[in-house]
Amino acid sequence: MSSPHPPPPPPRRCAVIRGLSPMVEMPKRRDILAIVLIVLPWTLLITVWHQSAITPLLTIRKDDGAEGRHETGQGSDSKEYCSSDKDIVEVVRTEYVYTRPPPWSDVLPTIHVVTPTYSRPVQKAELTRLANTFLHVPNLHWILVEDAQRRTPLVSRLLRETGLNYTHLNVETPRNYKLRGDARDPRIPRGTMQRNLALRWLRETFSPNSTQPGIVYFADDDNTYSLELFEEMRSTRKVSVWPVAFVGGLRYESPKVNAAGKVYGWKTVFDPHRPFAIDMAGFAVNLRLILYKPQAYFKLRGVKGGYQESSLLRELVTLNDLEPKAANCTKILVWHTRTEKPVLVNEGKKGFTDPNVEI
Amino acid sequence: MRLRFKLKTVFILYFTVSLLGLIYALMHLGKLHSLQGHTKKEPTKPHLPTIYVITPTYARLVQKAELTRLSQTFLHVPQLHWIVVEDSSQRTDLVSHFLEHSGLVFTHLHIPTPQDRKLQEGDPNWLKPRGVEQRNEGLRWLRENIWAGETAEGVVYFADDDNTYSLQLFEEMRWTQRVSVWPVGLVGGMRYEGPVVEQGRVVRFHTGWRPSRPFPLDMAGFATSLRLVLRNPEARFDGNSPMGFVESSFLQGLVTMEELEPKAEMCTKVLVWHTRTEKPKMKREEALQAQGLGSDSKVEV
Repeated sequence: MSSPHPPPPPPRRCAVIRGLSPMVEMPKRRDILAIVLIVLPWTLLITVWHQSAITPLLTIRKDDGAEGRHETGQGSDSKEYCSSDKDIVEVVRTEYVYTRPPPWSDVLPTIHVVTPTYSRPVQKAELTRLANTFLHVPNLHWILVEDAQRRTPLVSRLLRETGLNYTHLNVETPRNYKLRGDARDPRIPRGTMQRNLALRWLRETFSPNSTQPGIVYFADDDNTYSLELFEEMRSTRKVSVWPVAFVGGLRYESPKVNAAGKVYGWKTVFDPHRPFAIDMAGFAVNLRLILYKPQAYFKLRGVKGGYQESSLLRELVTLNDLEPKAANCTKILVWHTRTEKPVLVNEGKKGFTDPNVEI
Repeated sequence: MRLRFKLKTVFILYFTVSLLGLIYALMHLGKLHSLQGHTKKEPTKPHLPTIYVITPTYARLVQKAELTRLSQTFLHVPQLHWIVVEDSSQRTDLVSHFLEHSGLVFTHLHIPTPQDRKLQEGDPNWLKPRGVEQRNEGLRWLRENIWAGETAEGVVYFADDDNTYSLQLFEEMRWTQRVSVWPVGLVGGMRYEGPVVEQGRVVRFHTGWRPSRPFPLDMAGFATSLRLVLRNPEARFDGNSPMGFVESSFLQGLVTMEELEPKAEMCTKVLVWHTRTEKPKMKREEALQAQGLGSDSKVEV
């Protein structure tokens, strides 16, 4: 090196940048400025990446209901990010309260919920509270199938206003005029044709080779579903099962699970020897299985009471393949509630209320 | 000379890279925020009046199911404070655990209905008014715990645990000044029951049953401003009032029909339904229990 050797730099303060500061005449201020300019971007970068590294975790991790907001003052949600795991999950929950439905995630399997519905006074109420439930579930696709000749404006409007991801189908169960005027063909259990139409739609829409993971669940419009149920079924590989309350004349019906975690029977009183003694709300099927077995449908005719579910499941899976959920079938996450038929005595023959007001 | 040049370049290069990385990271962070939709700012909406929902409840098979789906509706409503009052001499574990895990802001109270006011097995459900003591207990708690200052902004709504509520209903009632009203579906033996509005005022009530009542409304068909509740400490529900007059017993001292604020597009839309849940058939369960083989009672239903 032929350059003049720089004189010894001024004492300690600038010692750290001795190797970096090339110019002899650089004043101290500039040295400090240089340090700041070097250190600052890294500090900010690290902070930002720390935050963003945590955020992807939040979308995957579903709170297991352990966090609750107790009585606080008004609008107390000033929790900061990153103080602790518990706080972060609380923040996420708060955000999702007011964002409906939750943002679509690329990693969660889609839950295709098939709901047959038919027109009656409580229909709008049932669908409203069902929608309020579904609005909490990420990656939910609601397939609503009306038992009607045409898609009704009531349902179309309701679906649109919820903001949910939905598909609106319809198929009318043929009536049997030989019986009372309005009786549907009694040999076809209610909802069967509608569920089958949904299965057909799924098979026409998704190809078996597609990598989009999905779960199919049959949810009637008068049952009650906990949010935990949907997270339990998301990990279904073939067919998963769990207990259902208020069916079969019992507090609940449940699969029998042995110590190895395999289903070996059914804890029911009503015909426990059915191939699958389970209610429609008590199982979910992986979409891939539905697509690989395109012949599997609910049997339309000649099905004994309580055998409907078996008519589909026996084409899809054996007892051994069933995956028990809900803590090895010890927790109730779905209730087979039924809504009373409202007594409309005061309407009289001509109708007392304005028929244009939608209920 | 060469060394000096090299160091300077290194420094500039390093600085540029850091700056670019920082800009990229900041953009990424901005993207994340927009992905999450409403940010933390949304919940801290200032001055949104709180909706105090008073729900009487009692232990029966479908209780947990009813509370579950009710909470799923309430979770969508900002600034909601749920006051659950059990018809019981003490707080039950089922309701306590449920509320703790619900994610809602809640108050858990309890008060038993006196025996002579309770419905007996086999009584039709219209025989005695239900939930009166519990609603009054909710009112008492509000009066003792919420300060009646100038800024007492809020609204009180009595929501039974088996009805169905749309989300829009809560936004309709939030800005109630005195008492607001709207139609209720599937009640009074009709498709819906509700006030009739002419020129922005309630002139009469559309109901098929005893229209001569001062306020022929269902419990789910009105909401009261918090200020009115706090300023009238004597206003409460009278359990001794005749069938269908319970609502009137509360509203009579508070407001006149002319002062009612009609909501739900001048009372032409139904935003709440008086649904009732069937009692589940337990014949087989009872038969099993007689044999000592009832389903596991440790499993909470």
